[in-house]
Amino acid sequence: MIMTELNKLTIAAAREKLDAREISSEELTLACLEQTRSLNGALNAFIETYDDEAMKAARAADKRRDQGERLGVMDGIPLALKDNLLNQGHVVTSGSKILAGHVSAYDATVVRKLKDQGTVLIGRANMDEFAMGSSTEHSAYGPTKHPRDPERVPGGSSGGSAVAVAAEMALAALGSDTGGSIRQPAALCGIVGLKPTYGRVSRYGLMAMASSLDQIGPMTKTAEDAALLLQAIQGEDKADQTTSDALPFIPDWRENLAGIRIGLPRQAWGGGMHAEVRSSVEAAIDKLKSRGAEVKEVDLPYAEEALAVYYVIMPCEVSANLSRFDGMRYGLRKDNLPLFETYARSRAEGFGPEARRRILLGTFALSRGYYDAYYVQAKRVQTLIREAYTQAFKEVDYLITPTAPNPAFRIGEKTSDPLTMYLEDVFTVGVNVAGLPAVSIPAGLADGLPVGMQIIGKHFDEAGILAVAKAYEEA
Amino acid sequence: MNLTKEDVLHLAELARLELTADELEETEKDLHKILGYVERLQKIDAGGVEAASMPPKSEGWRKDVALGCDEYTRELILTNFPDKKTDLLKTPGVFETPKK
Repeated sequence: MIMTELNKLTIAAAREKLDAREISSEELTLACLEQTRSLNGALNAFIETYDDEAMKAARAADKRRDQGERLGVMDGIPLALKDNLLNQGHVVTSGSKILAGHVSAYDATVVRKLKDQGTVLIGRANMDEFAMGSSTEHSAYGPTKHPRDPERVPGGSSGGSAVAVAAEMALAALGSDTGGSIRQPAALCGIVGLKPTYGRVSRYGLMAMASSLDQIGPMTKTAEDAALLLQAIQGEDKADQTTSDALPFIPDWRENLAGIRIGLPRQAWGGGMHAEVRSSVEAAIDKLKSRGAEVKEVDLPYAEEALAVYYVIMPCEVSANLSRFDGMRYGLRKDNLPLFETYARSRAEGFGPEARRRILLGTFALSRGYYDAYYVQAKRVQTLIREAYTQAFKEVDYLITPTAPNPAFRIGEKTSDPLTMYLEDVFTVGVNVAGLPAVSIPAGLADGLPVGMQIIGKHFDEAGILAVAKAYEEA
Repeated sequence: MNLTKEDVLHLAELARLELTADELEETEKDLHKILGYVERLQKIDAGGVEAASMPPKSEGWRKDVALGCDEYTRELILTNFPDKKTDLLKTPGVFETPKK
């Protein structure tokens, strides 16, 4: 293998070659950094790369290997972090101007775990401001471009992470997913994106968008890599009270899909999707059938309401979470104004239009006189949606939908009407509303651009959805 | 739900967000559209349905006590202060109007 092509490796393949001493982490990391140097100007996947530090970490990994030591599967593997994961001593901004120059005081739990395992962190990836968006156009640091067509968006909000992996600048990346922000960009860029069960991965040190929905997860080239990365970051954490004491995820690969029951929710497959998205995902489902899966239509009541529930609950939590950015203790402060104006102008100048829109929406839905009709009603319908999934999972083991209704769209195409942008998440938000795990895997093309198939599982059944994903990859 | 300009200005005040005249107009239009979409929830009969909530931890919540931090962490927190006097955070006075 040519050394400059090492950046094309999967985590699993690189691990094998590192362990067999065919390659070094230094060569691997250099290949990723060189790819980044040649492409990042055009694609804007990374806001910042940690060249020197990454090379140092790579050499340290090689030295450990020489001494017969290995800290973990991720030891010496180059990885990208989304710009909302705290990395002690480094600037992390959540794609926002309000946090320009903000230095992380501590490590996110996932970042700490990766460092403890010797992972080579190569940079922080661009994202929609505070993870709000489906295109990575809402970043204070410029839009990220689609690797196959720079006039198109990569999806979002973890668009930088998706492009870093799809354009082979990093072997894998971490993203965060509140309504589809890992799965949708993974689908649009043609990679694997896993949103773990709520509570599987600690959110400590993840800049909060909507705390009851946010979850960190892997963005990788294969289902196997997603499993390796999830194992590296999962687990209960004293610092995040919402992490679960469920048994840890352990991969459970299958020879075939005999006896596996897959449901296609009638409500999702009705209309409102690109014709080639439909035909590509249908063809992918036929492949699952050829590996022995049993496929049938199922009823998933209230599925169409998930987006509306999401666009009430999420902005409410956003308005509360983003109230900490008041220009007082950290972040942008506009000086020499009376107190109220200091708050109001710092926030107006620091937040972009989408963040402001959602703050105001949430402020409305939580305000006196409207709280019951909007927030409480949305939380009630959330219960109905959760029950609908529980019922569906009595009939089938997994649910399959397209990940996104359309392939990558043009930059600027959906920014003028926020609602058309929100509809990009129509297939993904239900999973967050119900707290379930789901994976998006590449499944053909539409208009020559990647399409994603979403496999949804029961709570804490990441092993199951990844096994179906891998069976599809091998079909 | 139709929000007037005055309603939006009131929300902006509650949220501590300055809005320009253009932004006000834009926000009014956007909120109208988004609220028009989410209002479909109000047609659902969810009377008697419990609002979703987080399952409690089996061993109960963590004690609400302050934990210390190491010197490096403390220094990093201090670097992020927008304004300070020695190690103390400086903020605008609550009852003062600054001289221009």
